[in-house]
Amino acid sequence: MNILSKAGGVLFRTFLWVYFLISLYPLTYLLFFSLKNNDEIFYTNPLGFPLHLRIENYVQAITKHDIALYFKNSLIVSIVSILFVLALSLMFSYAAARLEWRLKGATYAYVLLGLFIPTQVILIPLAVLMRDVGIANSYSALIVPYVAFNLSFSSLIFYGFFRTIPLEIEESAYMDGASIYRIFLRIMLPLVKPAVATVTIFAFLSVWNEFPLALILITDNAHKTLPIGLLSFSGQFSTEWGPMGAAMVISSIPMILLYLVMGDQVEKALTVGSAVKG
Amino acid sequence: MRNFKHNPTATSLFVLPAILTFSAVVTYPLISTLLKSFYEWDGITEGTFIGFDNFTRLFRDDLFYTSLRNGIIFAVILTVFQLGLGTIMALTIINSKTFGRNALRRAYFIPVVLSVTVVCQLWLSMYNPGYGLFNKLFEFAGLSYRQDWLSSMGVTSIIAVTMVASWQSMGYQMALIYAGAKSIPEHFYEAAKIDGATTLQTHMKITIPLLAETYKICLIFCINAGLNAFAHMQIMTKGGPGTSTYSLTYMMTRSAFRLDEYGYGCAIAVTLVLQCLFVTLLINRFIARERLTY
Repeated sequence: MNILSKAGGVLFRTFLWVYFLISLYPLTYLLFFSLKNNDEIFYTNPLGFPLHLRIENYVQAITKHDIALYFKNSLIVSIVSILFVLALSLMFSYAAARLEWRLKGATYAYVLLGLFIPTQVILIPLAVLMRDVGIANSYSALIVPYVAFNLSFSSLIFYGFFRTIPLEIEESAYMDGASIYRIFLRIMLPLVKPAVATVTIFAFLSVWNEFPLALILITDNAHKTLPIGLLSFSGQFSTEWGPMGAAMVISSIPMILLYLVMGDQVEKALTVGSAVKG
Repeated sequence: MRNFKHNPTATSLFVLPAILTFSAVVTYPLISTLLKSFYEWDGITEGTFIGFDNFTRLFRDDLFYTSLRNGIIFAVILTVFQLGLGTIMALTIINSKTFGRNALRRAYFIPVVLSVTVVCQLWLSMYNPGYGLFNKLFEFAGLSYRQDWLSSMGVTSIIAVTMVASWQSMGYQMALIYAGAKSIPEHFYEAAKIDGATTLQTHMKITIPLLAETYKICLIFCINAGLNAFAHMQIMTKGGPGTSTYSLTYMMTRSAFRLDEYGYGCAIAVTLVLQCLFVTLLINRFIARERLTY
């Protein structure tokens, strides 16, 4: 019995580390082939460490092709979207959590409905709408939907936070003559900083990696974000894996860095909203 | 005293931007999808009302059943793979005696933060029949077995596609289960410890039953992700070979944006929501009906 369970333990530990390799090796493989030429990837050294570090793949991806443009587009779309998500949902959830007005509960529930609506369902009319309004193929065509889609989750998080702040804080500020706007900006906002971090990480991940909307709404090369830009990239490079790998590595760097630096917060941001989705 | 909280100007200023954006981008298109599913519509004109014709056509369309079958395969594989492995991994890394638990946890989660395009293209290169990692590994092992993973007819290609999604988001389910298991209070385990239960017994009898709520959420995630699958087909197979890796969303975008049958696309979208809604209600009805409070 004892030997059996010991053997089982060893087997189980082996399994854990084998899956560790299954998780990480494809990424290592990508990093390696981004530094090789086709000959090495296909024949001489498909699996191991590159024999020469071919940095020129990266140079080629950046200078000869549009990876820098896509990166810039992704950055602009992400930053502007996040700023608007934060502004809109902070204001909304402050009003929903702390002010008194009619239909408050119904309005809050209305915004939360967004959590249950899959993007695909509204894709077709949305694409038609963007075209009719005349903002298809611009940054706004992505930023506006990204803001709208992230409102539900971020309002949920901020609402929860605003509810926990004691009423007395606002009241004493009001007695001191502060206006409602001043209370919101100077007193309430600093108190919800931890929630701002959670929402920012969540929105950044979802916007940076968003695929279906960007695919349908952006067709001109000048406004493509990384997930879509990489697609056309693989077409051009279908015969040259090295520069394609380099482009994939470049586009993943921000997310990998974010995760390596703030791993726990990233995991928390991605899992905290799940509790309500049921 | 409380009067400052009753401030219509400030309220509209705070509420309207969010409500207007949300209504224009989410509610209006949602209603539009519902209405237009009863129209023959090319996306440019108003379209003509045709009642349930789109739906009757859909239920006679073979492609609909292929897509539905693939959605179900996708959902089942995601569920089994991710919840199975996710549970094992989460309960292992929660044990502070596990060697290298932080390294394991980070490694299992890292594919989650990558973009679906990067992951799919990486797997495309690994699946490549001539030069890909998998066939190279067979070659290294001295086996003559080769497989053209994504071009096989039948279910091989849809399974190959699903494995990519399973690999990428296993860590996410693990993180959900881990977070759930961490919130179980210590005292639930005291009796088990006194009775000398093994770790496996403790998890089977205490942790997993207490995680019913979490499993409900994971299940809803996995099944909806499977039924909604789109990006993987779009990037890796374009629905092919033939139509063997079609999914409902892929069929929807193709109907609308390739064939200009916007009304038909909307009908597919409506069917898709009803499915997801049905599954979610079913899961809510049968799993973890009573909320646990510690």
